Amino acid sequence: MGKRSKDKRDLYYRKAKEQGYRARSAFKLLQLNEQYHFLDDPNLKRVVDLCAAPGSWSQVLSRKLFVDNKSEDDSGKKIIAVDLQPMSPIDNVTCLQADITHPKTFNKILELFGNEKAQFVCSDGAPDVTGLHDLDEYVQQQLIMSALQLTTCILEKGGVFIAKIFRGRDIDLLYSQLGFLFKKIICAKPRSSRGTSLEAFIVCLDYCPPKDWVPKLDLNKSVTEFFEGCNIKEIHNNSIITKWYEEDRDIVDFMTCGSLDAYDSDATYHIDVKDELSNDLLNVSLNPVQMPTNPPYKRALELKRKGKLTRSI
Amino acid sequence: MQELNHVGPSLCVKFHKEFVYAAYGPYLQQYNYKTSELLNQCLIFKENKVHGFDISADGKNVIAYGARSVSILSLESINTSKSLVDREQLVEEWVITGTFSKLGDKVFLLTCYNRVIICDLKCNVIGIKSVPEEKSILYSGSIEVLSEDRVYVNAGTVIGGVIVWDLFCESILHTLQGHEGSIFYVTSSDDGKYIASCSDDRSIILWDMETGEQLSTGWGHTARIWNLKFYDNNTQLISVSEDCTCRTWAIETLNSDEINLVQKNIYEVHQIKNVWGLDVCNSEMIAVTAGNDGRIKLVDLLQATRYGNENELFSLGDISSSANVEFSKDELIKGFEWFSFGAVVHTSSGQLVTYNRQSFSWSPIALSENMESYSISGGIQSKNTVVFSNNKNDIILIRFNSKGQLIKLAKHTLEYLAKVTNTMIKDIDDDTFLITLESPNPKDPFVCLIIQNDTYDVNAEHRFSKPSNFVSASLELYGNYLLVGARYSSLGIFDLDDNHRTPVVIRKISAGDTTTSVKFIEKQLNIPIFSITNRDGFYDFISINFDIITNDNKNFYDIIHQNKVAKGFLEGAYFNDKNEYIVYGFKSTLFYIFNETNSYELASQVCGGSHRQWKLCDDGLNKILLYNKGSNIYFRRISQNFTPEVLRNGLHGREIRDISILKEKTYKNGYLFCTASEDTTVRLSHFNNLNGTITNYWLERQHVSGLQRCKFINDEFMVTCSAREELFLWHINNESLDRAYIAVRQSLPTSTENPDLRIMDFDVKFLESKKDFILTSVYSDSVIKVWYYNFASNSFILLMEGKYQTCCIFNVSLEILNNKLLLIITPTDGHVIVYNITNCIPFEVVPGNDYLRDNKLEIVLSLLPNHDVKFPVHQSSIKTICTFVDKTDNSVTLYTGGDDNGLAIVKLNVENSTDKIVGKVVCFEKKAAASTITSVNLFNNNTKLLTASVDQIVRIWDVCGDKLVQEQRKYTTTADTGVADIVRLDNGSDIALIGGVGLSIWKL
Repeated sequence: MGKRSKDKRDLYYRKAKEQGYRARSAFKLLQLNEQYHFLDDPNLKRVVDLCAAPGSWSQVLSRKLFVDNKSEDDSGKKIIAVDLQPMSPIDNVTCLQADITHPKTFNKILELFGNEKAQFVCSDGAPDVTGLHDLDEYVQQQLIMSALQLTTCILEKGGVFIAKIFRGRDIDLLYSQLGFLFKKIICAKPRSSRGTSLEAFIVCLDYCPPKDWVPKLDLNKSVTEFFEGCNIKEIHNNSIITKWYEEDRDIVDFMTCGSLDAYDSDATYHIDVKDELSNDLLNVSLNPVQMPTNPPYKRALELKRKGKLTRSI
Repeated sequence: MQELNHVGPSLCVKFHKEFVYAAYGPYLQQYNYKTSELLNQCLIFKENKVHGFDISADGKNVIAYGARSVSILSLESINTSKSLVDREQLVEEWVITGTFSKLGDKVFLLTCYNRVIICDLKCNVIGIKSVPEEKSILYSGSIEVLSEDRVYVNAGTVIGGVIVWDLFCESILHTLQGHEGSIFYVTSSDDGKYIASCSDDRSIILWDMETGEQLSTGWGHTARIWNLKFYDNNTQLISVSEDCTCRTWAIETLNSDEINLVQKNIYEVHQIKNVWGLDVCNSEMIAVTAGNDGRIKLVDLLQATRYGNENELFSLGDISSSANVEFSKDELIKGFEWFSFGAVVHTSSGQLVTYNRQSFSWSPIALSENMESYSISGGIQSKNTVVFSNNKNDIILIRFNSKGQLIKLAKHTLEYLAKVTNTMIKDIDDDTFLITLESPNPKDPFVCLIIQNDTYDVNAEHRFSKPSNFVSASLELYGNYLLVGARYSSLGIFDLDDNHRTPVVIRKISAGDTTTSVKFIEKQLNIPIFSITNRDGFYDFISINFDIITNDNKNFYDIIHQNKVAKGFLEGAYFNDKNEYIVYGFKSTLFYIFNETNSYELASQVCGGSHRQWKLCDDGLNKILLYNKGSNIYFRRISQNFTPEVLRNGLHGREIRDISILKEKTYKNGYLFCTASEDTTVRLSHFNNLNGTITNYWLERQHVSGLQRCKFINDEFMVTCSAREELFLWHINNESLDRAYIAVRQSLPTSTENPDLRIMDFDVKFLESKKDFILTSVYSDSVIKVWYYNFASNSFILLMEGKYQTCCIFNVSLEILNNKLLLIITPTDGHVIVYNITNCIPFEVVPGNDYLRDNKLEIVLSLLPNHDVKFPVHQSSIKTICTFVDKTDNSVTLYTGGDDNGLAIVKLNVENSTDKIVGKVVCFEKKAAASTITSVNLFNNNTKLLTASVDQIVRIWDVCGDKLVQEQRKYTTTADTGVADIVRLDNGSDIALIGGVGLSIWKL
């Protein structure tokens, strides 16, 4: 019931369909850009979208770089989208089905960029949510740390990194850690991200790694080992187990992105609302929110449909 | 700030000797599982939850772990200490599992990056083991210690299946591929023969540990599976899941080489969602489960086989050979009764046989009457009497002796009835019982015979005029009143002292079907209260004042409680000796008995469904269910549980969205409080203000969507609101000490027939009468409405309607300031908007008072006026507000907490010169929390403010002089912290209830 009542208020979902985006999350990147304009720079050439599937952020990147910022010579521009899952093709986007933690992926990206570094890296990835809040937040932060490891290897100095976060109990820990690598860290919440959700985006501006630190991906190294020498984690000790200590935490600035007249993702809109872009009355019929195409529990659903999972004992 | 009690997710449970140890938030708890007594609770970690623990084989030491924390402690210290947090250690990575070595002098810790840290009992690292190039993140894993030098790691990965590796060789033995999605649990049998795993695909796979071969896949769970355990010498497997069930599976060897996982039993153990913890005590064959709802549940794995006599089945063939009677080929079992000696069974050809429970044998009963046309109407156990009736208006009464032999038979005929279609029996006292008879002819009387037990003579015959549209179904006797439950959710009241008095019928007690049971419960100020169940799943508690009873007015009764069971048909209910409400009925073919107070299933039996013949009888302290299928009869004994059913009761299966304490009146050394949850339910509970002990009374299921708010608006009314435009006004009855009652008195009209708006918040302002009030409701489409509630007519009348903009409104408040009635809203755009609605409502603001006066003005619908003042306070949504009206300086102070981590003090004044409302932010703390602030609550005479936020820190601020000075902060283990309420005790201390995923009770 709760789920059903959410569908109708989802104007962003409707807009995404209309504008040809694969997911409503496209508007989150667009609204982040409205605030920080990192995609409006005509000199932006090399961007990487991590955990890209189904590809709505890559679509935004493609439109920004090759349509809105179109120039005489777009030959140096390249968008690389990386995901473990296969993705259907997007104009001007090179899709890479790969593991972001693997060194091969990093080599492949640099190869595609002709050995130049990226200027912008983003990640909208999120893990399976278990319902154990501490675990979910931890795994999300590990995903960010994985993305960050790769990012430190491929991002040029002064570059931008943005990633999805959950603002739970340890978010201040992450803020503190990222502060060692970037000059400015902001927690940004686009209006298209529901106020009732813990989701937000960490915007890391002006990449500035410690001078004498050379990041090097190695499958046998832990996250801590990777960041050794850049003061990022557990600077207090050298041991893998240590007596409990108060970890560094930091609260960063919060910024809402998207103008106040943007749609409110928490509001219920009536079907006679006019779309300010097309000035058309929004269509009444709305396809149900897209289900995962090939969920792991597909077989279980089939069995349930056939009545094979009903209680008989 | 001191924690008195906490109810929330429990992630791990284990049997050890006569105890159950439970990881409960940051604590380890020790219970005696035979008595359910909590023996000790020891704080293990400062902040992290204990996710798991292992007890060494010699029972001396415990390794506890959770997130990145780990602690190695003696079991003795856990049993006796209140806190061992100074022993907490931090690991570099999340700890998936921890286990002792065979000798118990070392521990192995598996981290989420598939590394095993070996350390001594002082947490000194001895070694780190891993397999090359396999550091992909794990959701699960186990370490199997077969001997001091044979240790295997089962690593459950996100996409790579299960990696089984040899710890000391650091080499991969198997990569078990066969699941789809993340592996959520993996375990081995302790003989090293099998591995069992489960994943996002909702199946369980049994693997051959030696060969890595996939042996069998178990399907059955309808959601993710979180835990597995081999038991009973590795012949059985048990699983728990997000579908709230615990299931047992037999590992069956068909041929020598074919092994099958066969689902054997299903137990519904937790509420709404996840079950995390699981263990089995093999010697007793009981399981313990722990869930997100905070419940720790014991499960009797031999529930239907423990004593061997739980299930008895007899075919007519069996009965025929045992009793030496002949049955015809198409003979069927027509009816049955249960007595202390055994059963009485009546067949379709009219034969009667008795079953002797001692000798397990059947005997025929020789009858002088042909009983073919009769059916069993009922029996009275204490009188060993069965009553038969037929449609020719004959009644036969038969008495058996204690051996089951027929000792008396009597027959009565009521010739004046057209035909008898319904006969019911009720015991009166030692000497008498009564029989009711009903004819389908509406002109026939409804008859009640009082029978003298020893002679079976009719002592008295009452003929009542039969109410229209009345088909009797259930019976209760209260003094001289006969209460007859009937179809269409009706209750007929017949006065046995006055046959000429017109029976009174209460109709449509709930929307529904037949009234299946009526039962006297208690008296409140001499007025009796009855529990009434309805086949459709509703149950009601109704108080009936027999002194003023009449058909003309409805004031003689009051429905003081109403609710609906989670699913299925309801056939009856009773209170057990722990004052818990027990209901029973059917869910399609399943008969169930359910503890409604604490919401868990007590027993169930697949029996074909309610349309078959069935009967639930007392059998000493136990219950026995008799049912038939075709020519078979089944006796299913449902024993009192072998162990306590729960070690700890939980609250809600999902997040608590709002809490309201009934502050006006203490109740049994504490307070009543309500919790409104994302799981669509509202709970009425009680907490003891000394130790924080929580007692559940009711789990109300009237809402069909996730709750937004609940609030006691005075000492007898509560309001709740949710999506689908649901807003209910509830009436509380707290006159009894056994339990409080709560019933929906009225619901707010919706804007369409199929509403999809969320009512985000509401506020009320009472009229002078203290019964009538105005209520404002705010909606997810920016609409604001104001209603008038009239108590006498029990109706909501719309007074005012309008729209702010298009954004969602999160909060609303009605305040009287300087003889003006202000409506204050805070939407998702971060603004505070104030409307002066004084002249838009037909009530007068009384100078100097906080209520409105009804001058009997005409009620007209007005439009929301333009706002008087609007100004930005937060960057995005204002999640929470609380207000304080200062009459000395004519101001309203508004405290606001935002999604932007900010906390603000906002002042509203009336400008004397212009009489205009002005508002401004007088203090803003930008980084008041690391995440969304979800609750602000004033206390201590409005000098302190308590804030709760999603970063799980509760903060106390001094707000004197319109400044925000943080005074205290304390971590709460309650995740998704979303709400708080505070009550001041008579002794001047404050108690706060803090809710989210769980509930904590703190003394401030």
